[in-house]
Amino acid sequence: MWRLNKVRHKAAGRHGDSLEELKLKRREHERALRQARRDRQLVSKRLLLNEDEDQPEVTMDTNSGEQDVVSLFHKLQQTGSEREARLKALSKALRDPSAQLAFIKQENSMHLLVGFLTGSDATCRLQAVRCLHELSHSPHTNVAPACLPATPYLLTYLSGQSTKFTELCLYTLGNLCPESDVVKEKLLAQGIIPALANCIENQRHNLAVVEAVGFTLSQLLQAKDAAEKIIPMVLASSLPSHLLSVLTPDPDFGLAPAIECAWCLHYLTCSTEDNRVLLAHGALLKCSSLLVSLGAAVAEGNKEEGMELLICPLLRCVGNLLSSCPVEDLSTQVGDVHIVVALCALLQAYLQTQPALARESAWVLNNLTAYSSALCSALLTFNLVPGLIQLLPFSQGINTMILRALANIAHKKKEFCVQLAHLGLLSALCATLKMADQEMVILSMDVLFMLVVSGPQVAEEFVRQGGLSLLEAIQYNSKGDIRRRATHLLEHHLLSYSVVKTYLLNL
Amino acid sequence: MQQPESVRPLTTERHHPTGDTHELRPRETEQGNPFTFTPQLIHLHKDHELFEDGDITRHMYLQDLYISEADDKPTLSVSEFACHISGCSAVFSTLEEYEHHYNSLHRHVCCSCRRSLPSARLLDIHIQEWHDSLFAILAQRQDMYQCLVEGCGQKFRTSKLRKDHLIRLHKYPPDFRFDKTKKDRGTRETKRQQQKDTAMEVADDVCESEGVCEVMCDVLSNQLEHGESMETHVSQEEARMAKSDSTEEHADLSAAAHGAGNTSTEATKPRYSYRVPTSVCFGHGSVRGFRGRRGRRK
Repeated sequence: MWRLNKVRHKAAGRHGDSLEELKLKRREHERALRQARRDRQLVSKRLLLNEDEDQPEVTMDTNSGEQDVVSLFHKLQQTGSEREARLKALSKALRDPSAQLAFIKQENSMHLLVGFLTGSDATCRLQAVRCLHELSHSPHTNVAPACLPATPYLLTYLSGQSTKFTELCLYTLGNLCPESDVVKEKLLAQGIIPALANCIENQRHNLAVVEAVGFTLSQLLQAKDAAEKIIPMVLASSLPSHLLSVLTPDPDFGLAPAIECAWCLHYLTCSTEDNRVLLAHGALLKCSSLLVSLGAAVAEGNKEEGMELLICPLLRCVGNLLSSCPVEDLSTQVGDVHIVVALCALLQAYLQTQPALARESAWVLNNLTAYSSALCSALLTFNLVPGLIQLLPFSQGINTMILRALANIAHKKKEFCVQLAHLGLLSALCATLKMADQEMVILSMDVLFMLVVSGPQVAEEFVRQGGLSLLEAIQYNSKGDIRRRATHLLEHHLLSYSVVKTYLLNL
Repeated sequence: MQQPESVRPLTTERHHPTGDTHELRPRETEQGNPFTFTPQLIHLHKDHELFEDGDITRHMYLQDLYISEADDKPTLSVSEFACHISGCSAVFSTLEEYEHHYNSLHRHVCCSCRRSLPSARLLDIHIQEWHDSLFAILAQRQDMYQCLVEGCGQKFRTSKLRKDHLIRLHKYPPDFRFDKTKKDRGTRETKRQQQKDTAMEVADDVCESEGVCEVMCDVLSNQLEHGESMETHVSQEEARMAKSDSTEEHADLSAAAHGAGNTSTEATKPRYSYRVPTSVCFGHGSVRGFRGRRGRRK
């Protein structure tokens, strides 16, 4: 089980590294992860530590580690009374990657482990699974496939009752999943999905196990070809409803199980555009109401540690589920219009610290406002528009999404346009029309058009703000698309007699 | 935002779900309306780049590297502003800088010869003295050359007399940059005419479109002829700001312009053609624009 507060201690004290060194390491690690993602090779494994461990200690001396492993293996092959102790020692020795390699090179080593795994001695079983867990965490690519003979048993044990044991089985399986297609095929054939479904159902009171199931499932769902085979199987099982029921975080246990399940749901919703099954389970309703409460908490300053790890996948679920949701069902599926309040709160709260999260919130806002007059109206009613307008300077996709959302509002009704103009969107557009980002300029022109045609007062106000000379300048823009828009606005809507007359009279 | 070359579109944008298939935005509607915005639902695939940062945070957490306060503050970036006038590629980090650039260099631009003047008054005087045939006729018989100093009000028969006045009375330098005579421009005028004809499309009821790129083209030709007036070329700072991008761009543009008949082969070079209504010319300022242009066919 992962407790977030443990992480900080680890980061602080590992091997006596200074803060600077730690920062450097983290940054390097982050770079490596980004590259891995670009290569579509982003995979992580988790290591469940022993109770007596606070940090993953790795012995520096690899040679002795290898020797230990080999000698332990030999000793274990003989019958004797010290098997438990030796297995425990083996599991510790297997923390070292080269020892892992050395172990699997030994003939019948896996056979031996499986024997203990399925034997009558419960303690030996536990130690054996710990050994397997260490092996599953190996950075070497040929170690995990060596664990395949154990997987049918690991799966069987998922329906067992021993918490620690089940957890270890789950994390071991979860580490093995992304290894290779061969491993995945085998696990699917051996029934990993029904096993996970049963496990989460039977152990739903045991949040540590639930978290582990979530992790393992997320590993499966992240596969490149998950959409073809794995996802349909998962959707057909009872897993979706269980995942949804775990989403509300338990105040005592913490966010971790909810985080895992939310990520599972994200992988389900983003891999396909047809999310009817999940919509039927009420996924959108659940995720959006959860966002409402999380958004409220964030707005009050209650930022629990790690909250963004939960908010992120929830945002993505809502965003992608919305794109599959028929317009007619929107009000029942989204439920509370306060979702827009929550999103704006998230936008503001994370703008400086996690701009990517702010951008995702803006994306969801676009999807919410695209076809819903009610939600657009809510943004106006709750007076959220001025705050949104203030975000228009921020780039890297934030302002384009927000402008889209505002455009969605303008697109609904002329009355909305008038209100938007009144709230300062016109003057904001006079600035966004000068931005370097072409997408912003084109969007701004389109929004300006909608505002200007909504009524003569808006057109006059725009002229009063110096809009004519602005548009005239835009007629010399290097892009034809933009020039045509400026010309069209001037010729058809702004140079009409009444507008000009008013302007001249007011000079 | 989208990643190219993938087999499956990573971002799928859809119109109203009832009925429509995955159409791209229509270019123009029947009325010739160029505005294309429609609300769109955006579905983001697992590997979309918008998801990158969140995915990285997730995996840092899985690998026990997550800390709730970010190490270094992630940089929230602010959009830049760019001068969009065709041919000008100056970029600015604040709106004020943009406005200053635009007002200094693009606002008082003569429609006829694309020169940029620093003020409306000097632009007026320039147009009058350089492009108004009536002025030339009147100047033969009366004092038409106004003193450039606002409020002075004196007029002179020739520009030389005015220049003397400026130097003697108003202590102006003898090489004041806004007082070049038209004759100095002779050769460059014709060269520019050539550029115009080959580079630009001409439409019947529309004034001959002269790309504003000529403002920047002047930079190049100016740099060849030293000691030029500030009327035509961008100030040193601006030129430096616009720098290599613009000079490359304009090298291309000039090349395209000078090569008569190679416009068809220059498919990749930008060709600037404008349909500018006769009533509008930003060089005169918006109000002036409505009065129509002088000396131009309607």
